Amino acid sequence: MKAIHSFASSLVLFVSLCMSFSVFAADQAGLDSEIEELKSEVIELNRELFDLEEQLLYPATTSFAVFVSMDAVPDFKIQSVKLSLDEQDVTSHIYRDEQVEALRRGGIQKIYEGNLKPGLHHLKAEIMGKDRDGRPVKRMVVADFGKARSSKYLEVKISNNPNQNKPDFAIVEWK
Amino acid sequence: MRWFIWLLFIVPVVYGDDLLPDERRAIARDPIYGQALYSLHSGEYDKALGFNYQLRKEGRKGYGKVLDIHEATAQLGLGMSQHAQKQYKRLLSDTRVSFLPAPARAQAWFYMAKHFYNKGLWDSALSSMRKVNGSYLVDDLKDEYHFLATTLELFKGKPEKADKHILNIKPDSKWAVYAYMNLAVSYTERDIHISKVEAVFNKALLLVKNTNKPEALSDKINLMAGQFFYATGRGRSAIKHLKSVSLDGAYTPKALLTYGWALTEQWQYHDALQPWYMLKTNHSPLNQDVQETLIAIPYLLEKLNAKVMALGAFDYATEQFDDIYRQLGESAIRLNTGEFIEPLMAQQVPDRWGAFEAVDLSLPNHPDQIYLKDVMSRGNFQGELKNLRDLHVMRSQLKSAMEELKAFDQTADTRAQEYLIIKKEARISKHQIDLASLQSRYKKLLGRINKAFKNPDGSGLASQSEKDQLVSFKQVSKQISRLSKRPSLAEQSYKDRLRRVEGVLKWTLSERYSERKKQVSQNLAILEEKIRQTNKQFKAAQYAYTVAPKGFNGFKKRINTLTKTYEKQLAKLDKVYYQQREKVGSIVKVDIKKRQQRVMDYQLQARLAAARLFDETSNEQRIVTGELRQ
Repeated sequence: MKAIHSFASSLVLFVSLCMSFSVFAADQAGLDSEIEELKSEVIELNRELFDLEEQLLYPATTSFAVFVSMDAVPDFKIQSVKLSLDEQDVTSHIYRDEQVEALRRGGIQKIYEGNLKPGLHHLKAEIMGKDRDGRPVKRMVVADFGKARSSKYLEVKISNNPNQNKPDFAIVEWK
Repeated sequence: MRWFIWLLFIVPVVYGDDLLPDERRAIARDPIYGQALYSLHSGEYDKALGFNYQLRKEGRKGYGKVLDIHEATAQLGLGMSQHAQKQYKRLLSDTRVSFLPAPARAQAWFYMAKHFYNKGLWDSALSSMRKVNGSYLVDDLKDEYHFLATTLELFKGKPEKADKHILNIKPDSKWAVYAYMNLAVSYTERDIHISKVEAVFNKALLLVKNTNKPEALSDKINLMAGQFFYATGRGRSAIKHLKSVSLDGAYTPKALLTYGWALTEQWQYHDALQPWYMLKTNHSPLNQDVQETLIAIPYLLEKLNAKVMALGAFDYATEQFDDIYRQLGESAIRLNTGEFIEPLMAQQVPDRWGAFEAVDLSLPNHPDQIYLKDVMSRGNFQGELKNLRDLHVMRSQLKSAMEELKAFDQTADTRAQEYLIIKKEARISKHQIDLASLQSRYKKLLGRINKAFKNPDGSGLASQSEKDQLVSFKQVSKQISRLSKRPSLAEQSYKDRLRRVEGVLKWTLSERYSERKKQVSQNLAILEEKIRQTNKQFKAAQYAYTVAPKGFNGFKKRINTLTKTYEKQLAKLDKVYYQQREKVGSIVKVDIKKRQQRVMDYQLQARLAAARLFDETSNEQRIVTGELRQ
């Protein structure tokens, strides 16, 4: 009788141990998926916040943004960009290697966003980088543009000039 | 088991790099897609995923399945491997080429295999890897693909297939080094002739210069080779490799310890003491290699017959082990209170998170610093720690977002107040009244002017007497005409005189006309300018009036809703954060227990040896005293 009792109790203990282990394992897997779900939710929330920020701080009537894009230019590696708007420095950016690669792969960087009154304005972009032989390259591009009561987007564009095998720099207005 | 350890050890080094999906330029300068691409390639996966969500929300077309691959890649980058896996499976379930082009398909299978590999699911990784069509992969991925395939084939015991992949790796690629390292480990497991193993290790050492951190990697290879040769009883070869490990690297303690044992095996006891003393002096007793040295030194001293010195060293080791045991116990307590992990989390770089962002393990002036570095840098622990770090970063993001929302709320309030001021001033109605009165003045003036300047002969500007004169001139002219029925010389003379008088008056009137017209035009221009200005003011006020309400209307509601969502999210995240901390803590606790057990074993050995030595040295004394008595 004693033997049966001890066998039964050890069986119960074994089953409960197995169950608790499987519950623990399921909990761990559940926690991982819960973390992933949280990550996804936080990213979506942050995106909503970013939208709100853009609409509140940069209304469509005064919104102004400058983008930077670069083709796969073999003879130029961008290092930094400095922007001046109406003779005032507004922003500058120093590029990491992976950011240069991101531009080369077709990425577009929003380098500046702000508010601008309607009227005539002047944008100056100072681009610094290195050529294939590691020699420093510095270029300045300017643009005079008019701003109406709607959003205005400009693009500092670095493209490849296949005829001269050197980069072309320009400021392009987005229509 | 050894395989498992080495492979996982390699993983954090290998996968620190960016995931590089398909290239596709932004269509018609789509700023959202362009920014998504930029964020993805520059390693800002959270931003990339955010932009991707926006693109989907706005229903942008023309990107095909690229958005799905981007999303899965960003998810892998953020450590959301389950989500990524679902995405890849969905992508690959349809075999139509039009649905997913061959290069994208090859890439998706590759990332899927990589995901399984990172998770340690070797079978699934290998079956996914075998579905990759290497010829469709971009050049950057080809070498990595062959490396992973080599490793997986080796692990599954298919060395012939592995060899084929190794031969396809470019020799100047960093992946070649890792592949040869794994091949060497595989040779050691498969009892391949020692000369072949050495050749593979040497090949890996030769290729090390193509990697980002050649010094650290060559230290690692030398240590691996040294440990292998020592374990197979080839002390001299082991010594050759171990001597090449630098004295200030991550692998120094392990190399010094193995170097000492290799020398001991060669009966060079005196020489063996030197690396062990160096290890003991320069590193913390919490390091497990130092702990082994603490009993290895007296063991050597005993071999050198310096028994009293050995006894002293064993006593010293016993004290040290007591201390280490106590310190480990304190670390376990600090785990429960959060004093162990919270300071580590607090020092992580904000906004740097995801699977490829290493956790900063330096924790100066913390009692658990040594232990932390030792245990937490282990590959199998990294995933859990990174998840905890990600939760910590997200928590601070949510908190700062809530601060931002407060600031936005204030902005909206300020705009509402501005609007009220504009409304109170009634600027618009004032400008409207001014404008209406000016316009009516202008209209009246214009009517009068038109009347006055209708006849360019200036008759409209004549005075009453002049008007009478003009009337009388007409009458006189009529009378002269009547007289013309009886023609005479006097008639012509009358007509001439009348014309002269009339001419003088008309000349005066014409002069006056031009003079007055000049004046009136000037006045009219002034009035027109005034109207223009007032109109401008009116329009500006009207603009401010119409724009101001939009500056805050609707935002308050959005801000409130978002704040509530953030609060809920933060509460949810806090709960998961503590659960994950518990999980990390339990892993560390198990490790601490193991370390304490090991220290206990060392201590037992040290005590037994000390007791034996004490006995031996005392007996010697007794024998010497007995001899003297006799």
